[in-house]
Amino acid sequence: MLQLEGIYKSYYRQRVLEDVSFNVPSGQIIGLLGPNGAGKTTLIRIINQIIEPDKGYISLSGKRMTSEHLKNIGYLPEERGLYKTMTVENHALFLGQLRGLPKNDVQKQLDYWLEKFEIQGWRKKRIEELSKGMAQKVQFICTVLHDPDLLILDEPFSGFDPINVDLIRAELNAFRVAGKTIILSTHNMKSVEEICDRAVLIHKGKKIMEGAIHDIRSEHKEGLFSITFTGNMIAFATALWAGYEIISKEVHNDTTFTVYLKMRGENEFNDLLSTLLPAVKIISAQEVLPSMEDVFMKKINAGKEVEHA
Amino acid sequence: MRKIQLIAQRELKERISSRSFLLTALLGPLFVLGLVYALFSLGGSEKQHWNVLIMDKTEIMENKIAPKQDPRFTFHFINEFVEYDQFATLEQFKDYDLAVLINEKIISNKQVIVSYRELPSESIQRRLIYHVERRFEEIMVKQFTDLEVSKFREIKQSMNFSFKNTSDPKNEINHKAAWVGYVFGIGILLFVFLFGMTILRGVANEKSNRVIEVLLASVHPRQLLTGKVLGIGITALVQFVLWGLIIGIGLYLFRQTFFPDLLDPTLLVEQMSQDLAQQALDEFALTARNYNDFVDLVYRDIHFTNMLLFFVLFFLGAYFFYGSFFAMIGSAMGSESDGQQYIIPISIVLVLSILSGYYVIYHPQTSLAEILGYLPFTSPVVMMIELSRGFSEGDVWKIYFSLFLIFLAGFILFRLAGRIYKNGILQFGHRLKFRLIIRWLKKS
Repeated sequence: MLQLEGIYKSYYRQRVLEDVSFNVPSGQIIGLLGPNGAGKTTLIRIINQIIEPDKGYISLSGKRMTSEHLKNIGYLPEERGLYKTMTVENHALFLGQLRGLPKNDVQKQLDYWLEKFEIQGWRKKRIEELSKGMAQKVQFICTVLHDPDLLILDEPFSGFDPINVDLIRAELNAFRVAGKTIILSTHNMKSVEEICDRAVLIHKGKKIMEGAIHDIRSEHKEGLFSITFTGNMIAFATALWAGYEIISKEVHNDTTFTVYLKMRGENEFNDLLSTLLPAVKIISAQEVLPSMEDVFMKKINAGKEVEHA
Repeated sequence: MRKIQLIAQRELKERISSRSFLLTALLGPLFVLGLVYALFSLGGSEKQHWNVLIMDKTEIMENKIAPKQDPRFTFHFINEFVEYDQFATLEQFKDYDLAVLINEKIISNKQVIVSYRELPSESIQRRLIYHVERRFEEIMVKQFTDLEVSKFREIKQSMNFSFKNTSDPKNEINHKAAWVGYVFGIGILLFVFLFGMTILRGVANEKSNRVIEVLLASVHPRQLLTGKVLGIGITALVQFVLWGLIIGIGLYLFRQTFFPDLLDPTLLVEQMSQDLAQQALDEFALTARNYNDFVDLVYRDIHFTNMLLFFVLFFLGAYFFYGSFFAMIGSAMGSESDGQQYIIPISIVLVLSILSGYYVIYHPQTSLAEILGYLPFTSPVVMMIELSRGFSEGDVWKIYFSLFLIFLAGFILFRLAGRIYKNGILQFGHRLKFRLIIRWLKKS
């Protein structure tokens, strides 16, 4: 669907993006990750053709992107802005028509979304009369009004209460099911784990990691297992005296615990289970994959260490 | 083009529906009308009594003028012709305010020249004309017909009176007309500043509330700027049309209601003719109102069609020219307060333009005045002054050339503003420095 190839961008001799390339397949949600100042916003602006890359190109559905493609893109920037004195309806009409949608179609789409979010009463309200969360919702509607094939959302959940976060998340999933492509730029790693299929990590203008979320987490696993059991903690620890290293434990009650451990030497998961089975009653046992936040921190810190070295 | 139209429409709708627009559109012209009314009502601040020297070389008038005396005039007769400069300078004529030249062939050519030191008001002029005409009616009736004066009056040809300044008989220095142009020129700059600031605030607001990012994902920065400038420009024209309409209607109503005898000479003369036999001039002096120069200025001297046409054209040129500066500052600002320092230089330039107009009124023939007429910074004021003075046939090209220059400069500046806008509009939180603007200008 979307292909970025060798994107370079500098501002006044300072390189902001360097050879960034990745693909976003159709019907997937990709998390665009990176610390502040990594170059995410610049990259998003380049995809939106707000600024031009110094080098490299972007293609959409196999064709080099032109301004004609903009009507297929919906963009929700991190810093939301609306004309405060305009009504919700006029705002939607203005932005929808700017995206190339005829006035009647904008009206129909607006009806659909207002009904879907159960906010029909807001139509004639001025933006300045809305709360921050309400305005965010209007902004989301304006972003998807023209039924774009590619959605670029910068921190889409910020400012929303948990109920509305769920609402937006459900909509994003519905878009995915409908075959739309979504680029999600966020610092909320939990969201990334929960709804993204893939992730691209950018640091200091360079792509330092890309892949499916599960693959990324698997690649960075550290042999950590979690065992939840009932029984005696001392018996558990004694059974694992040799060949295993207990990292931490969670006490649920006097007899139920979850223990995180790593294996030493040649031990495998089956060995662990056969060691424990005679000692305690195992409720669950699984390999623990690192969270995206852990991976993120690890990759960024690794970059810093390389720099210091 | 469609996107530019959408942006312009949005700007127009937003501005026109704002309370400040309606207030300005109503209160502005009402204030002007109030001022005009006050000036009209002030009445004549001019001389109450005029010494008139009638230069009647052949003594056609026989040293007589009216059957009854008019308290506003004292007539003196001499049987010689005095040149303009002599009348203006010689000590013996210093006490005379007006000189009426009765030429030898007046019976056939009907030409009367009146030279003045201080321009008499319209009513004083009419009064003088009345006296001279009445006297000639008597002469004509006596010498050439058997008719009664009243019958003769019905068939007679009117005389042609021309009023000339003793120190400027060719009417080269027309300060009064120049002031009219000056007022129009200041009006242009006032509107330009008002709507230039609207551009600046509009751009800065979009930038500060970050709606700009959403817009730029749909339109090119140049389209956005063009739409905005066009939309606000049309708003200005709407505002201008409203001002024109309200002031126009107001002036018409003034003339019809408060000041019906203002400037319709036929009305007055008819009235005078009918009443002449019965009414003494003293009575007339009490009933006829005495208006000041300002009345003539408003109702007679301003060629509204011409002035308004060029007002609009120069406004558009100046709006694009100065508006580009305001757009540059708005887009380059790092924060809302940041750009204030850059508004001061533009304001100073605008004030200097106003002062340049003042200079041109009093030094119209200088080469500096000529240059100021072509400089886009000052040409709207200077050319409106020149226009109100009137161009001789061979000089008409000057105003078109000046218009061409201001539009050309506006176009070039607008292109540069587009460049700064494109590079500066997405820059936030910086301190606006001149160096930065130059850098953005260099960047394509």
